Amino acid sequence: MLVDSTELERLSYLEHAHREFVGSPTRAPSAVTVELQSLSKHFGVRPVLQGISLAIAPGEFVAIVGQSGCGKSTLLRILAGLEHADEDASGAAVKVNGRSQVGPQECTRLMFQEARLLPWKTVFENVALGLSQKDRVQVGTVLRQVGLADRGSDWPAVLSGGQRQRVALARALVHRPGLLLLDEPLGALDALTRIEMQRLIEQVWQRDGFTAVLVTHDVPEAVALADRVLLIEEGRIALDVRVDLPRPRQRGHARFAALEAKVLDRVLREH
Amino acid sequence: MSTPSPFRSRIAQALLPWIVPALILVVWQFSSETGWLSSRVLPAPSAVARAAYTLAATGELWLHVRVSAMRALSGLAVGGGLGLGLGLLTGSSRLAETLFDTTLQMVRNIPALALIPLIILWFGIEENAKLVLLSIGVFFPVYLNTYHGIRSVDPALIEMGRSYGLSGFALYREVILPGALPSILVGLRFALGLVWVLLIVSETISAQSGIGYMTMNAREFLQTDVVLLGILLYALLGKLADVIARGLERWWLRWSPAYARA
Repeated sequence: MLVDSTELERLSYLEHAHREFVGSPTRAPSAVTVELQSLSKHFGVRPVLQGISLAIAPGEFVAIVGQSGCGKSTLLRILAGLEHADEDASGAAVKVNGRSQVGPQECTRLMFQEARLLPWKTVFENVALGLSQKDRVQVGTVLRQVGLADRGSDWPAVLSGGQRQRVALARALVHRPGLLLLDEPLGALDALTRIEMQRLIEQVWQRDGFTAVLVTHDVPEAVALADRVLLIEEGRIALDVRVDLPRPRQRGHARFAALEAKVLDRVLREH
Repeated sequence: MSTPSPFRSRIAQALLPWIVPALILVVWQFSSETGWLSSRVLPAPSAVARAAYTLAATGELWLHVRVSAMRALSGLAVGGGLGLGLGLLTGSSRLAETLFDTTLQMVRNIPALALIPLIILWFGIEENAKLVLLSIGVFFPVYLNTYHGIRSVDPALIEMGRSYGLSGFALYREVILPGALPSILVGLRFALGLVWVLLIVSETISAQSGIGYMTMNAREFLQTDVVLLGILLYALLGKLADVIARGLERWWLRWSPAYARA
């Protein structure tokens, strides 16, 4: 019952996302659209991404999988404004929220593979990084959401790996991003902590309704979290599958396993 | 057999390092009193203590200590300030690095003490000369460690800061400067070690006041006890500076497990 109602809420949210975009008095973050048109990226002469075209709807959760070195992290870094796509390609465009990407944007937040907390700031101050004075009141709320309400005055050095990533998640969420980019943020965590973190990310995404792009090498993780799984191979989108399983997803479920096998087969296929 | 109580063993732990110095003092005092050790060579510890008391009572001791400490502090402020400023500049700007770093790396290989003849020619033997010598000596350790500290700030953290909307001075204040601080403090401790050496040399060459003056003066009148007192004062001031520098490290780097001991 509960599951269905949240799912319904989310679907109706997706439908009305555009209308809300124009201006809803209640919701602070507005989920953003992402549009890529024939995007290419070379490092030196080596092509990393070749002619990627992609449209992501507001509020959509997209997972990008692929073998290491396939260019998936580079794609995410371009979305974050930390790298720039090749400029010579004709008709190429990277648009986040309808605007061309030129650098790090206010509405976009990136969660890195490592937590990248500032060791000389307390957990609270890390989350408050870059916030204006009046937004600092949000920090306590967000820390409570990630289950670290009582750790605000601790130094990052005393936290476990999972707790550090929770702080990093809180630091991203406190800005109420319209687009949350996740660059294998759970890669270094143990299996149990991973599942816990996946649930947490799913919950905050369902509640806040931001657009999410998750890069991962873990296919089950992609299938568990995303509306849509993209496979990138040699710099191109090789597969684009929709995951229309009800949330929260049961990993033992037959359709879950079938989808997972389908993607995994394609990832591992010999070229 | 009973194990000692934790309280007792803690006292024993605290006292243990002082047994050897205490023993040396006792043997020293004993040797002087039996006349085995000439007071011209090494006066008894009690004689040094008496000299300290006499000089303190007349206020002369405090005058000299104050003058010496002021010289050390102003040398530290000028040389350290310049080193910090220039280190921040060359660490942060490629252009400044290209312009200055090669020159500074060449000059740093000249020992500050080798400049004494030149400094005397240029600045005479007054306070200015001392300040210049101390500043030059202090400048390099602070400069080198600041430069190195800025350069070795984790680029991943800088990237994170940028992607979270920090730039310019805010990025500097929140990420770069705190990241360089451990290295800057290492530079400060090197500088503190150096500043006393240079102070002793410059006060021994020529001075009208200060611990070095007091010591050299006493030497002329064969007051070995006052000479010893001067050496002891340098040691104490050096130790005090080190304790302060450690305190700063403990406070500013309290986030680091390496410094977090209570």
